[in-house]
This record gives sequence, C-alpha cells and structure tokens, in this order.
Amino acid sequence: MRPNDRRYTQTHEWVKPDGETMLVGITDFAVRELSNGNEDDLVYCDLPDAGRTLAAGETFGEIESVKAVSDLNSPVAGEVIETNVNIEEHLEVLAKDPWNAGWMIRLRPERKSLDGLLTAEEYEKFVAAGGH
Amino acid sequence: MLGAGESRGPMERWRLITTWDAPPAWNMGLDQALLETPEAPPTLRLYTWRPGALSLGYFQKYAEVPAAEKAPLVVRRITGGGAIHHQRELTFSICVGLDHPLYSGSVGASYTKVHAVIARTLAEFGVQALQRGERKLLSDREGTGMCFHHSSALDLVWNERKGVGSAQRRKAGRVLHHGSIKLDTTALEGEIASVADASRGVTPQQFAARWIEHLSADLGLKLGADAPTAEERLRAKELTRRFEDPEFTRRR
Repeated sequence: MRPNDRRYTQTHEWVKPDGETMLVGITDFAVRELSNGNEDDLVYCDLPDAGRTLAAGETFGEIESVKAVSDLNSPVAGEVIETNVNIEEHLEVLAKDPWNAGWMIRLRPERKSLDGLLTAEEYEKFVAAGGH
Repeated sequence: MLGAGESRGPMERWRLITTWDAPPAWNMGLDQALLETPEAPPTLRLYTWRPGALSLGYFQKYAEVPAAEKAPLVVRRITGGGAIHHQRELTFSICVGLDHPLYSGSVGASYTKVHAVIARTLAEFGVQALQRGERKLLSDREGTGMCFHHSSALDLVWNERKGVGSAQRRKAGRVLHHGSIKLDTTALEGEIASVADASRGVTPQQFAARWIEHLSADLGLKLGADAPTAEERLRAKELTRRFEDPEFTRRR
C-alpha cells in the first residue's frame, strides 16, 4: 500500500500537506514506468523557479528518461515557494525514495482541500487497472 | 511483445498521414499538434525533410552538438534523446492514447513492440536487426551528442551499429513516438547502420509501403490514407513559428 498521508493524481503525481504548505512529487509507478527499473535511465528534470503560480493540473516541469520526456503536473493550485534542487543533480533520489527525499516542489496552496484527488486506496486500484 | 494479429480487435482503424520533403519546423509543429489533439484517432505519420535538417533532443545543449554548426538547418524536437540528421531516412511519428495496447505497459515494452515490427520490415530488405541488449557498439562515440552515436539496450542494431533511433514524449494521457529509420549514411552521422548495408537505393516511400503492410498484418491495423484536420493544420502552423524561432532552438 502506498502512503495514505497524501493524495494522488491519474498522471501519477502525489501531494502531501506539510504544515501550511504542500509538497508535490511523483509516484513509484511513474518512476518505474520512466526508468524501466534502472535508476540511471532518468537523465534530466526541469523544475520551476520559486514564485511561479500554478493552476490545478498545470504543467510545472518536465522529466526525461532515456526513452521518454513526460510532463509534471501540479495536483493543486498554488504558488511555488521552494523546489528540491537536489533532484536536478541527483535523479536517483526519485527511484530510491519517491515519497520523502524525492519531493519536487513546495507549494503555498490556494485552498487546503484535496477533495477530488485520489486517495491511496483509489490510486492503488487505478494503477492495478493499468494506470492510464 | 505483440504477435501477429494480437491487437484491440479485428482491423483497428488508424489514420495514415504521409508528408514528403516538408519544412523541418513544420514537421515538428505537426507532430506536436497531433500529440496535443486529445480527440485525434490513432495516427501514424511518415515523412521526410527538406532541407535535411538536424534535430536536437528536447533537453540537449546546442553547444554540445558540434554537428549543429555544419547542418543546413537545426530545429529542436519535443522528444528527448540525441541529435539526428534527417537525411536518407524514413522519419515516423506514432500518436495514440497511452491506453492503447502498444503503449499501455512500461515505456520499455512499448519500444520492444514497435521495434519488432520495424525489424520484420527490415528483414525484407536483407537487414537482420536485433535489440542491442548489453553489448557495446562500433557506432557508440563520446562527445558528438548524436542519437546514433549513443545506444541503449532497446535500440535496433545490425553490423554492430545502431540503425534505428526513436524517442517518446508523453503528455496528458497521450504519446508521441518519434523515430528515424536510416536508409543510408550521411557525413554528419558517419558510420552508423543503415538499410543500404544490405539493400542500396531503397527510398523512404518503398520502405514505408512495406512497413505499412507489416503494421497492418502484425498488429491488425487498417491504415487509411488521410490528412490532418483543419484544426490540426491551424495548430501546426502556430506551433511551427516556435520551432522556427532561434531562441527556442538555442534555448539550452
């Protein structure tokens, strides 16, 4: 079972409340799909600068693996107040610990509610059905 | 790997769009327009370039591709990977939803399925192509930034060289799988594998005709000759301006 302290999207991002802010990252499923189980296959990640305002569902960055470039989409609306610069240099973090050390951006959310996003249980079912 | 006839159902309909000798920036604009049209049916696009431009991978640094200074024209793709000189090749783009059986598994599995059909087509021209696996290639070269000088385990190779290069962009539940099947070598890419190793003078149109047959037979597809919709053409025209913009091409 994936962590139930956060919510998930059908595009395989997660969002986790952290005090007044929220952390956003991508799931183990997304990492595995991109990297084919080989962490060296992740080659590039482009994250936004702090200060950028995002709408829910808006693309905030891009990640490249050896064989695919994919968008990163924000699960909620808010302002980017911090990015995890460690990731851009150490993409292997995403494979090792997508849930904690692999956070990508910290948002000051427009709203506190995460209604409409998938619970861990719902995300499990979505992934079990193929994840598309 | 999908075997013969193993697909969604009897003769699934795909759109076939062929555009020969089209301008490089428009080629990139149309591919992106196809990716970003959610209601578009599954589409195979086959094309060639005039002039024979060099395309950079989405994240590549311009300065790290020395061949860019020698190419007649340079554009940046929205797919990743290395630079490609689009001359003496058949270029393809496949644009479908990620729920399609060709792409619904892992990224690696999708390459294996598409490459298998290309390999069976290559065999008709006397080329015995295999996935590279773990070995090193004679065409692997450091410091050029060229797609065909950098190989991965899934690449199609023959004569210990890479002969097919492809990359994917995944966006909003859809995939653009863009690739180059080399029919002969060019000075900018040097000694890589090509169809000319076994069959000289094969044209993009000749290869395309046989590949279409294999896709139809092996995957149960009915590929109907078609054209982009008016909306796709309009969007492609808008996007072409971005791909023509030197700031986008040289942004990294």
